[in-house]
Amino acid sequence: MKNTFIHKCSLFCLALVLCLSACQRDIEGLEPATFPSIAEVFIDGFSPGLEYAAFGGSVVTGFNVDEDVTYTGTASMRFEVPDVGDPAGAYVGGAYFVEGGRDLSGFDVLTFWARATRNANLDVVGFGNDLGELKHVATINNVPVNTNWQKYYIPIPDPAVLTQEKGMFYYSEGPENGEGYTFWIDEVKFEKSGTVVQKESGIVDGLNDARSAETGDVINVPGLYSLFNLPTGRDLRVGLAPGYFEFSSSDASIATITENNAIAVIDSGSTTITATLAGEASKGSLTINSTGAPLLPLSAAPSPTRSADSVLSLYSNVYQDEQVDTWNTRWLYSTAEESFIQIAGDDVIRYKNLNFVGIEWPSATKDISSMTHFHMDVWTPDPTSAAAFRVLLIDFGADNSFDGGDDTQHEMTFNAPTLQTGEWFSIDVPLSSFSGLTGRRNLAQLVLSGDLPNVLIDNVYFYRTGSTSGNDSPEMAAPSPTRDPGSVISIFSDAYSNVPGTNFNPDWGQATQVSELSVAGNNTLLYAGLNYQGTELASPIDVSAMTHFHIDVWTANSSALNTFLISNDPTMEKGVAVNVPTAGWLQLDIPLSDFTPVELNKIFQLKFDGAGDIYLDNIYFYNEGSGGDEPTIGAPDPTRDEGSVISIFSDSYTDVAGTNFNPDWGQATQTSIIDVAGNNTLLYAGLNYQGTELASQIDVTSMTHLHFDVWSRNSDNLMAFLISADPTTETFQSINMPTTGWLQVDIALTEFSPVELNKIFQFKFEGNGDVYLDNIYFYAEGVGGDEPTTGAPAPTRDAAKVISIFSDAYDDVAGTNFNPDWGQSTQTSIIDVVGNSTLLYDGLNYQGTELAGQIDVTSMTHLHIDVWTNNSNLLEAFIISENPTTEIGIPLNVPTTGWLQVDIPLSDFTPVELNKIFQFKFEGNGDIYLDNLYFYQE
Amino acid sequence: MKWNTILCIAGLALMMVQCEDGPEEKSWTLVWQDEFDGAEGESPDPTKWGFDIGTDWGNQQLEFDTDRPENASLDGEGNLRIVARRESFGGRAFTSARMTTQGKFGQTYGRFEARMQMPLGQGLWPAFWLLGENIDEVSWPQCGEIDIMEYRGQEPQIVHGSLHGPGNFAGQALTQSFTLQNDRFDVGFHLFAVEWDENGISYFVDDRLYYQIKPEDTGEWVFNAPFFIIVNVAVGGNYVGPPNESTAFPQTMLVDYVRVYREE
Repeated sequence: MKNTFIHKCSLFCLALVLCLSACQRDIEGLEPATFPSIAEVFIDGFSPGLEYAAFGGSVVTGFNVDEDVTYTGTASMRFEVPDVGDPAGAYVGGAYFVEGGRDLSGFDVLTFWARATRNANLDVVGFGNDLGELKHVATINNVPVNTNWQKYYIPIPDPAVLTQEKGMFYYSEGPENGEGYTFWIDEVKFEKSGTVVQKESGIVDGLNDARSAETGDVINVPGLYSLFNLPTGRDLRVGLAPGYFEFSSSDASIATITENNAIAVIDSGSTTITATLAGEASKGSLTINSTGAPLLPLSAAPSPTRSADSVLSLYSNVYQDEQVDTWNTRWLYSTAEESFIQIAGDDVIRYKNLNFVGIEWPSATKDISSMTHFHMDVWTPDPTSAAAFRVLLIDFGADNSFDGGDDTQHEMTFNAPTLQTGEWFSIDVPLSSFSGLTGRRNLAQLVLSGDLPNVLIDNVYFYRTGSTSGNDSPEMAAPSPTRDPGSVISIFSDAYSNVPGTNFNPDWGQATQVSELSVAGNNTLLYAGLNYQGTELASPIDVSAMTHFHIDVWTANSSALNTFLISNDPTMEKGVAVNVPTAGWLQLDIPLSDFTPVELNKIFQLKFDGAGDIYLDNIYFYNEGSGGDEPTIGAPDPTRDEGSVISIFSDSYTDVAGTNFNPDWGQATQTSIIDVAGNNTLLYAGLNYQGTELASQIDVTSMTHLHFDVWSRNSDNLMAFLISADPTTETFQSINMPTTGWLQVDIALTEFSPVELNKIFQFKFEGNGDVYLDNIYFYAEGVGGDEPTTGAPAPTRDAAKVISIFSDAYDDVAGTNFNPDWGQSTQTSIIDVVGNSTLLYDGLNYQGTELAGQIDVTSMTHLHIDVWTNNSNLLEAFIISENPTTEIGIPLNVPTTGWLQVDIPLSDFTPVELNKIFQFKFEGNGDIYLDNLYFYQE
Repeated sequence: MKWNTILCIAGLALMMVQCEDGPEEKSWTLVWQDEFDGAEGESPDPTKWGFDIGTDWGNQQLEFDTDRPENASLDGEGNLRIVARRESFGGRAFTSARMTTQGKFGQTYGRFEARMQMPLGQGLWPAFWLLGENIDEVSWPQCGEIDIMEYRGQEPQIVHGSLHGPGNFAGQALTQSFTLQNDRFDVGFHLFAVEWDENGISYFVDDRLYYQIKPEDTGEWVFNAPFFIIVNVAVGGNYVGPPNESTAFPQTMLVDYVRVYREE
């Protein structure tokens, strides 16, 4: 019997082989490559070629081969699910794959047996995960397991496409109700069962859905599945990757199907996406209503220029943004869709279908009580002439949580001309306008709404005015020029009559944003985001009688800057490099010979190129006259509070006594103290080296910086040494030489380490050339005494454009009562600070000022105040109009470091009526010094 | 080599099956048949088939059976289709059809066979069965019932053959099931048959004998008189349970042919 069996078998096999041979003869040309059709994945071990890779973040040791617990045979796969919080990983998961792939087209189901130590639902089990394209992933979810071995099926949706599949099996499972447990899987294999039947397949979960889209969108059709009936009679939904489907678009001119079976929207219009699986129509469809190419701006919103330390930013590329939990809360009835896109390299937020959108950060509410303004840049393609756009701010109140009875809010509505179509516009409003928003310490929500369904927003931030301290913009005005107007041809300066008709922002295709702004009352030119920038004179000018080109430059972030003169007919240009970034205002005096071959009798344009944000002032040509290589103006007057300064050499401070500025250390240097425009200045002529000996050791550990001003036209090498005693220790810092104008040097004392700051006893300069020095002192940044030691800076505005209340520089309006009795506890007095009359509010709670009568300041644009305090942390300045009494307060940034020059746009005081101003008021705490309280016209 | 061996065994098994379960050495004469040839949508031949119209029939089934073409008609491809639908009709939530040869054809003994493909889904209960023609006189179960094929939609690999008579009804029925290996009854046609004579009744699926009942296995043997044929698809009822949300409607049972033979 056995022999017979084998004999028959051999015949049968032979017949089979013959048949195969016969078939092969019929195939013409090259055969397609074929892959092994091995059914077994894991029976009692890994099947041939099978490899395993654990998923990222999983417990990589969670999978093991178990030889004790098996369904059948000698081994199973054991999976140990971690507890919640397990440092080894949050879940177990991984993929079993074969490198070359297998031909699974002869099978119809993947089966396996599983059991667990408890009832659980396996999150994901499937095949087709090849750790690569994931083209044919098929997955079942929430697979129930219990403590008994049970058989599981994952039917193959269309076996015909799996001729080279690498993904044999994969799984992912996390803790059940926070608890880890163990499950086993055994006998994993593909089968030709004949007992699984596909009832239907579907896209969009079998529904007919529609969505809007735009040209350029690439859409993955959601809800892909196949529904099977198992031999158990139960249905099983298998989630599928797009690779199983054949998609079609009813109008291929609207959307096409990509290689990866995604939908590429290519034009406006409607098209309906349907699909088939293995030639059978799938349920469901997705109608795509394309609105065509999105309307977007070509250029980014203007880059913000406010100092970072006066800004609380929610969204911008310029500042460190504060946390925002979501830019779309998807509140009920909101149709807004947000996307994060780039315009000209700048990140912006785009809203579509905006009826309203909630934006919130309840997990990190913001204290904006020290801020004065809200800013947001907006762009819309929608009509704005009759549209409204609303901004709602919501504060959660003292309980710092939603509702609770203490929330406050205010909504502002904006219309044209603020709103503009197709151009970036700024919503920049004082927070005082949000009068209902009385809480400002726990701001949590921003809601945008209105008639503009398509909106881009950028640079969403709060800021405070009055604070210009910081690193991104100059705190002080450029030094006022002192040259005789008769030897000057000025292009841009408050100090001289400028040549008329200059165009400071001709369109040469530059990206630079040009603006004029007031820095401490001085008109200053700002080139934000410089790439290059031209200036066109009304007509060519002749500067051949001049010797120098002067500019004042301030930049904290520029890495390159060149300044060019350009002559006409033929056009000829020459650039000179400027050392950037600058430490404070850099005063450049460039001999016109440096611009050769530019023809000085036909200058018609100027140009700058480089990078960063550049502040420019006092652009003029001058004739130096006699004098040669020495400064014609004194070093800028220091403004630091004397209480935070230890001075060695300065007219502005009391210097430490007994210093020997010319000890005999064998140097060749000729040292003298000379007068430069009324300023005592130290001159090292023919420097090789030069020491300075203090009378005794000084302790500068409470100081943070060494400051000196240096000027030299002919030195190209200068090193500044600080020297401590016992043992003698010296360190130097190199200074960029020569200078163009006075160079203000501020070196952090930490740079001189290991010099011992409590035993400073000498200085030394080494280098060459003729070097002028002034204002050598140590100072402590951010520290001061309790009262100012310098007067407030003298105002420089034209008196004709000023209405002054309190100032030595102007005629004040008469009859003002600076200390009316409003029941305040403040002690008010007028004191003398270095020859300057100054208003002192000692122990401020509040303090009024009453004018003799109403004044009309409607022709003015700003209110100016100089403030000094080092013990106040709250100060608000009010102006008050009469009949009805209307007041608005603007917070000032206190305490100050030195005199704070505050310039507040009068529009910030809306709704105060500017034609009926009759009182002022300050509220807050601490001791406040005030000066130069005046209105001015910009 | 290993694979070749397995293929060989499979081939051998097929050959052996064919040998053992092939038609028996009997001589059958075809006496009645319906091949269901006709145009798509046509009602079945009224000279051969009538309809039981109504509901329940004693088994708590949920459908209302009609004679409408929506529930029973030819498919134009040589099959009868009985279609169970989810629709409100006659106070019921489903409709279907129950066709019978009562009063048109009946026979004592012989081979009764039908080639059929089952509908798919929980709660569907198709059947091909015979009832004694004297049912109106002696009532059920005295008349006798031969269930050639009954099927539960949720058990796609299993059919049942049963016999009901006096003393052999409800839980006491004589019944046996047949399980299809590596296939299901709702994805293709299978041939269901009984061969019946004075010595007993034999049940076949695809000409594989799986059940034999002899007169001595039962109480009173009433299976010696003419029986007529019923083909139906019930929805729900005490045999199968109700359909659930996974059951897709409409569901169709296809019948390629029904043939009756007499032994020579």
